[in-house]
Amino acid sequence: MSHAEGPDRIDEDGADDLRNQLAAELARLRSDIRDAEHRLHLTLDAAGATGGWEWDIPGKRLTGDARFATLTSQDPVELARGVPTSRFFANIAADDQKRIRLAVAGILAGAEIFSKDYRLVKGDGTTRWVHAKGRAIFGADDEPLKFVGDLVDVTEQKRVQEQLRIAQSAGAIGTFEHAQGFGTVTVSEQFCRLLGLHPTRILPVATVNQLVHPDDRPIIEPILPDQPKPDSNIEFRVTRADTGEHRWLARRGEYVRDLSGPGLRYIGVAYDITASKSNEERLKRLNEGLSESVRERTRDRDRVWLNSRDMLAVTDARGRILDANPAWAAIFGVEIADFVGKLVSELAWPDDADLVAAGYAKALREGGAAFESRMKHADGSPRWLSWTASREGETVYLYGRHITVEKEQETALREAEAQLRQSQKMEAVGQLTGGIAHDFNNMLTGIMGALDIIKRRLASGRLDGVERFMEAATVSAQRAAGLTHRLLAFSRRQPLDRKPTDVRQLILDMRELLDRSLGEQVQLLVQPSPDCWAAVTDANQLENALLNLAINARDAMPDGGQLSIETHNVALVGGDVPGLTVQGKHDFIAITVRDTGSGMPADVLEKVFEPFFTTKPIGQGTGLGLSMVYGFAQQSGGGVEIKSKLGQGTAITLYLPRSLEERDVDIRGTSQVPQGAGESVLVVEDDPSVRLLVVEVLQDLGYSAVEAVNADMAIAKLRQDIHFDLMISDVGLPGMNGRQLAEVARDLIPDLKVLFITGYAANAVNKSAFLADGMDMISKPFDLEQLARKIRAMLADPTS
Amino acid sequence: MTSVNISLDELERDALTEVVNIGVSRAASSLRKMVGRQVLLSVPSVEIVTQAAAASLIGQRESEDLVAVKQDFEGAFSGRALLIFPETKSLELARAVMGDEASAEHVLELESEALAETGNVILNNCLGTMANMLKQSLKMSLPEIIRGSGEQLFAHAEDTDEGALVLFLYINFSVQDRNIRGYIAMLMDLPSMAALKILIADFIDRVTEDAG
Repeated sequence: MSHAEGPDRIDEDGADDLRNQLAAELARLRSDIRDAEHRLHLTLDAAGATGGWEWDIPGKRLTGDARFATLTSQDPVELARGVPTSRFFANIAADDQKRIRLAVAGILAGAEIFSKDYRLVKGDGTTRWVHAKGRAIFGADDEPLKFVGDLVDVTEQKRVQEQLRIAQSAGAIGTFEHAQGFGTVTVSEQFCRLLGLHPTRILPVATVNQLVHPDDRPIIEPILPDQPKPDSNIEFRVTRADTGEHRWLARRGEYVRDLSGPGLRYIGVAYDITASKSNEERLKRLNEGLSESVRERTRDRDRVWLNSRDMLAVTDARGRILDANPAWAAIFGVEIADFVGKLVSELAWPDDADLVAAGYAKALREGGAAFESRMKHADGSPRWLSWTASREGETVYLYGRHITVEKEQETALREAEAQLRQSQKMEAVGQLTGGIAHDFNNMLTGIMGALDIIKRRLASGRLDGVERFMEAATVSAQRAAGLTHRLLAFSRRQPLDRKPTDVRQLILDMRELLDRSLGEQVQLLVQPSPDCWAAVTDANQLENALLNLAINARDAMPDGGQLSIETHNVALVGGDVPGLTVQGKHDFIAITVRDTGSGMPADVLEKVFEPFFTTKPIGQGTGLGLSMVYGFAQQSGGGVEIKSKLGQGTAITLYLPRSLEERDVDIRGTSQVPQGAGESVLVVEDDPSVRLLVVEVLQDLGYSAVEAVNADMAIAKLRQDIHFDLMISDVGLPGMNGRQLAEVARDLIPDLKVLFITGYAANAVNKSAFLADGMDMISKPFDLEQLARKIRAMLADPTS
Repeated sequence: MTSVNISLDELERDALTEVVNIGVSRAASSLRKMVGRQVLLSVPSVEIVTQAAAASLIGQRESEDLVAVKQDFEGAFSGRALLIFPETKSLELARAVMGDEASAEHVLELESEALAETGNVILNNCLGTMANMLKQSLKMSLPEIIRGSGEQLFAHAEDTDEGALVLFLYINFSVQDRNIRGYIAMLMDLPSMAALKILIADFIDRVTEDAG
């Protein structure tokens, strides 16, 4: 619109007004248009209408509707009027340009179908995905006349598709859709991949189903239900089309009303479950293996149960048998059915029922118990069983071993052992008595021979040289006395006459005897220490013990060697040496007899003090020696210690308690025989020769002696004669014994001294308990000198 | 997926698809005239796969035996073209071409001939258009009918081995009121494939310039 060239000249001011008015009007209209456009945009957005286009190929013009214009960010007015065809490509994203130009070129060259997705760039820089679907319209000469189609914004759809695609590939989930009556199924690429098929959208049902294992449900069900409903989870095996691999798949889905047809449509997903299936399979196999091994073990246990020769049973806590194995029947001779339901204690031997009950009680209390009991066999005889009961909860498992045979053997063994011991003892006694008889015979021969010679010399009046024979007889008799003494000591029925004894002197005095006993091959070293204390002991027994040890030592050195006897002083407490039972610390004299002989092994050492134990050949030893020594040492209040090593000799040490009365030491055979002064003595003795001897001696010694044969006669004498200073009585008198007689005599003469003579004093072993004040005892045989001293001592002591 | 990527990039594939699209459109137009009905086409898809894969691909997609019209071609690129139908569809196609008034016996009798003729029209149109678009010319042999499974169709040629590559075009024809569907496969050796690739590149240059 020009200013000045208008046909009518208008007033300048008016023209300005008009111009201003028009300008205002134009601005208003433009604003209205903008509003309208905006409204249109909003309306189109809301309607979601497609953007159609029409490309006039020969005319080279493109027209598009408002929606097309909006989608491609172009002026709708211009597009409605027509624009150059190049505007079709306006605002297509650079990356998609070539592709779309190529497709359009195809249409222009005669292609019929156009179907492309591409991006459009908006004014604000954002992009939208569109789907362009078009086709060529041909003229009669088959030349394309028009290219028509429309654009749809598929941005949201693309996003959803992308999400779905990712979901499918990431989750390895394939989707499929099958409409009732169709021979094909619409599938996703992932679905094809699951089956090893070439990715495609449509597959024949048969192609899909024939990959499924014939025993399994097909992927695509041939018959669909009548009503829409969710389908259950179906698992099936497939053989992959590409690799032939076997896989487990699962499908789930729903039957829904088909939107485009009358029937139903199955929309489902499929996914691979091979891994979980194989885990499941492995678990199942493991389980089967486990139950198989359980079965196997059960079979093993059953075999043990059935074949065991020992009795096995399951019982309740009270001992009621719930089950028992066949061994029960075999051992008891009764059917198993007869046991079941019974109490174990009912089956026990009546005397042992309590034992069984106690065993059960212990098992319940402590969880387990072992005991032995007799049980009743069907034939009424007992059977020994060794039971082990173990409790688990309210159940007790009982295991019984049949030990009747063992028990019988054990008894037989014990009896045999006792018999053996008895026969050994008898053998020993026989040996001993034989030896004793032999020795006695020798001694008696000496005595009797000497007496015979003396008798004949006296008869012929030849008194010269008689003393020699008398001496010989006396020596023999003393030896015999020594022997009986030893025998009594061995039997421990010899009362010990414990007195302070000079051990050193005693040992030195034995030297000659030992020399003779040991023979020439053994070198004897007698070395009592000069400071040796005196011991409280029985000198005779000590001699015997030392002699015994020396002879043992000699026998341990058949090829000779060295034997030493030495002493030392020592302080000991109880337990320091075997058999020592003193309280507190005490002084002892240790006398050691040591040899360089064969020694003893440990197992022999353990037994050396046992009676009748001997390492000597039968007939050469009684096995009493060391046992006697041990007994003597103990009786003396001391002990014995033995040290020995095989091949290195043996050392046996006797420990004797120290005497605190150094002064009053018994040194024998020194002073003169004390004489009596006419005191009157009653002699009660049933043995005429002893009686005669004692009376003779008393008279020789200056005492006045009266004889009595037994207690009655003695009591008569006591009543006759007003005064007796002393009664000498045998302990073992016929009728009233010596001790009882002494009681009677004391009633008659209260201060009467009593001296008992005893040969075998079972009641008098403990001298102090046997003797009252003013009483004493002398053992047979005794020499007359001994008797004289004893009498003198008693009569001299006003208190004793 | 066993397809082998012989260096056809996405754009080249698009271009090849477009060339095929043009060819098939022409073929459909011819078919339309032959059957006198509307012929609808799907968007073609192009894959380059081995022969074995192509065989199994068709096998998977079609559960019945196949019928194919085969024609060899020679020129800038050489090979063999196959128009493949499921057996039942081939009868349907023959009936469509011959008209509803033809009796069933007549259709069966002339099926092969009708198929060969239809195939010839379609393949000639398709390949001819493609050659034209690529500014080349091709010499076509006479059509031949072969039947069998996918494997048998592709193994028919004695000189090809299973590893050879196949340009496999898949397209759904559907003739209005008839359920007809088919595939076009082109078997080419590597030199021909390479030649085709060059021609495609030229085509891309040309059309993108033209339309710009």
